[in-house]
Amino acid sequence: MKKKKMLLSTETMDVDFVRKVEALSGTSVRRCFQCGKCSAGCPMATFMEHPPNRVVRLLQLGQWQRILAGRSIWYCASCETCSTRCPNKVHLASIMDALRKLSWDAEGPSKESYVQLANRLFLQNIRTYGRQYEMRLAAVFNVKSGQFLKDLMLGPKLISKGKLKMFHQKNKNMTEIEKIFGRIEEMRKNGEAL
Amino acid sequence: MTPKKALNYAYYPGCSLHASAGEYDLSTRELFKKLDIGLTEVPDWFCCGATPAHNVDELLSLSLCAKNLELAEQVEGDLAVACAACFSRLKTAQHVLAESDIKRRQVEKAIDAPVPLTSNVKHLLDILARDLGLEQLEQAVTKPLAGLKVACYYGCLLTRPTDVPNLDCVEAPTIMEDILKAAGAETVAWSHRMECCGANFTLSRPGVVIQLSHAILDSAKEAGADCIMVACPLCHGNLDIRQKEIEGVYNTEYAMPVFYITQLVGLATGLGADKLGLDALIVNPMPLLKEKGLV
Ligand code: SF4
Ligand code: SF4
Repeated sequence: MKKKKMLLSTETMDVDFVRKVEALSGTSVRRCFQCGKCSAGCPMATFMEHPPNRVVRLLQLGQWQRILAGRSIWYCASCETCSTRCPNKVHLASIMDALRKLSWDAEGPSKESYVQLANRLFLQNIRTYGRQYEMRLAAVFNVKSGQFLKDLMLGPKLISKGKLKMFHQKNKNMTEIEKIFGRIEEMRKNGEAL
Repeated sequence: MTPKKALNYAYYPGCSLHASAGEYDLSTRELFKKLDIGLTEVPDWFCCGATPAHNVDELLSLSLCAKNLELAEQVEGDLAVACAACFSRLKTAQHVLAESDIKRRQVEKAIDAPVPLTSNVKHLLDILARDLGLEQLEQAVTKPLAGLKVACYYGCLLTRPTDVPNLDCVEAPTIMEDILKAAGAETVAWSHRMECCGANFTLSRPGVVIQLSHAILDSAKEAGADCIMVACPLCHGNLDIRQKEIEGVYNTEYAMPVFYITQLVGLATGLGADKLGLDALIVNPMPLLKEKGLV
């Protein structure tokens, strides 16, 4: 892979964005001294173009566009190994959450739309049913992602074992959940929450 | 001997236990009945949001968890949670909300109620090993799992994150092994007991799951385990449901049954296969259990 030179300039050093990441994650990126322990234990590092320690380094340098343009944040499994092992208490798993949220908000230039699609459907299910309806989750995902044949072999077996329910579980108290979603939207509109 | 105290819990099964992990729910209810531990399901509980919610929307994730903690207040007793992901989310939310006044105020506004910060959220493992206690558990064992070599799989979320008061040592937990020893089984030492199985990528990136879960199955086999034991429906899905697929990709054969903790402990207390949902497992555990004289 050809390495692009990293240009540090005031345009690419967007400190406001990094402050937002710090506020959302409750962690300071300046604490990191690049020991690499987070990346050493990260099960997903091999799938990422910027392993966890480099994500923090890029944030320190205000180069967040480079992170959002890649797949690293969407390949993080939220396993918390990095946060657990960091000697400086950098809460990297929360930084990954914050970066995903900001990228999601901006509909950023992510190539990892499958992961976002799965997340979006999952949250939609909560709003509609209050609980997960796995059969629908899998079916809609396969249709929307164009992977009609994916997991076709697993389907019948799972249904016969009672693992994929044909009918969904629905919470009886759906007005409550709708209110929660609504109030959060309202707070964001009014600038009361990030 | 101290007289037995009555144990009663509010039960949060979570979405998977009402769907793809029905056997985890069934075996939990049966085992707890057998052990005389009361479980009352939290009425109208919601999905905790699991990984997808906190992945992209922390406020939503915290609010869903807070709402469930509030609903759980209607039932007397600590909150018993079976799924490792639900457990980690509920615990983390409670911790984050206790630490941050700003976030707590936002969440209280979102759910229009105060957040219960002091209620006790407990994983089933904790209840079995500490509330009931290993001695009591040992006394309830009528059919010890003698000769069964088990690889106890913790995965990521049972003991993490570190800053949240938690189940066991974050890097070298033993709670699963302790429980299984009380049930008379042998446990193996193996390298991958806390490695990630790729959990939340099962829908969007099955290739990742196959690679990571393959390493886990391989490690268990190499250590000489007869089977794997889990306490999380996501781990179970990846290791049991996808096992055939993994065998195909790597041209190998494991035939490694993957049990829920409540199924193995249930067997040891004399519960029959039908009460433990053993027929719902994809990798058939019967040949192994017959060979060991356990069914
Ligand atoms: S473990 Fe912590 S200090 Fe070390 S590189 Fe990672 S974030 Fe930085
Ligand atoms: S939480 Fe994400 S970044 Fe951290 S170790 Fe796990 S997969 Fe890697």
